[in-house]
Amino acid sequence: MKKITIQSLVAILFLVLQTHARAHAFLDHAEPKVGSTITNSPAGVKIWFTQNLEPAFSTLEVQDAQGREVDKKDAHLDDKDKSLFLVSLPQLPAGTYTVIWHAVSVDTHRTQGRFKFTIK
Amino acid sequence: MKTGRGLLAVSSAVFAVAGLGAANARAHGFVGDRFFPPTIATDDPFATDELLLPSISYFNAGSPATGTTDGGFEFDKEIFPHFALGISGDYLHLKPDGEPASSGFDDFVLSAKYQSIWQSDAHEAIISIGALWEIGGTGGKQVGEDSASTFTPTIYFGKGFGDLPEALEYARPFAITGTLGEDLPTSAEPNNLEWGLALEYSLPYLQSQVKDIGLTAPFKDMIPLVEFSFTSPENRDGGETTGTINPGVLYESKYFQLGAEAIIPVNNATGRNVGAIIQLEIFLDDIWPKLFGHPLIGSDK
Repeated sequence: MKKITIQSLVAILFLVLQTHARAHAFLDHAEPKVGSTITNSPAGVKIWFTQNLEPAFSTLEVQDAQGREVDKKDAHLDDKDKSLFLVSLPQLPAGTYTVIWHAVSVDTHRTQGRFKFTIK
Repeated sequence: MKTGRGLLAVSSAVFAVAGLGAANARAHGFVGDRFFPPTIATDDPFATDELLLPSISYFNAGSPATGTTDGGFEFDKEIFPHFALGISGDYLHLKPDGEPASSGFDDFVLSAKYQSIWQSDAHEAIISIGALWEIGGTGGKQVGEDSASTFTPTIYFGKGFGDLPEALEYARPFAITGTLGEDLPTSAEPNNLEWGLALEYSLPYLQSQVKDIGLTAPFKDMIPLVEFSFTSPENRDGGETTGTINPGVLYESKYFQLGAEAIIPVNNATGRNVGAIIQLEIFLDDIWPKLFGHPLIGSDK
């Protein structure tokens, strides 16, 4: 009986914590897709993270093959979905671009990453 | 070097079901863009808050052949920035062929680790140092423990291959971590070189840094790996090198990591049968960010 009670308490504690706790924010998926080749210049880059972000401390930029920033410097969170980070792009010529992101989740955990996409 | 850990009755099935249903995330162990997961047979180079509970393994080795069931735990806490202390313990159940079984605690082990004596974020590389102290006399004589202690200074390293050229992009999710330590016993036992390596291929890294190939849960959160763990006696007729090769997989969930590996002996001196280990690592800093994920004294930032 004692063992069953301990197991049940641990399980309940774990389930409760899952609904209230936060964690590191990682890239879940993106548009353009990570490592993709596309035919048209996209209107912007969107990254969906696994957690909500702190916008003041998170950054998102797009660089060309020469390392020059080419986005419109308007990186922001979606109004309705605080895990969606966006930046707008002008019309871009064919080439390979690097998306560089730094994310701070709402509980201050920091993560970072980068990926490329190519416009044919 | 990590070994099996002590046993506690927990609802592992509930953990698994709840965790797989949650959004995916990882914790600690970052160098640049690379997340290095805690590995099973070899220790990682990070001084972070960790709770390993439980780790359960079975391996049959020795003469006479002895089936060893090992249940263990480990708790590490960052005390000062980049410096952590830890304690681990194992409860052993030994069943030698043709002899009665015995059970009891192995010697407890204290650890100290200082992270990042050298680090390169651009090259996803890190070197750390530390030491283990197996405290003699804290384990049960019925499982073969005595009053002798062993001190093991250790070097830890990690290297991710995200800096490979684009022509090798599908190799970029690879990473290695390893340890190199020297056992210095207080008894007449031999000095041993303890050395190990973990080679891993991160599917989360592939999906988020290299190419989204359309993997779905749970596969996009898995890290297949193979670990190599060896002990090489250096004197006092310690015998030949023994060790295991452990292929397995790690699953990264929001608040925990679940790992499973086979334990394959490299030679007859190690054993003749394949064993297995499963391990649950709890990401304390993700569950309780106000309590864990930062040093007790000072600040990482």
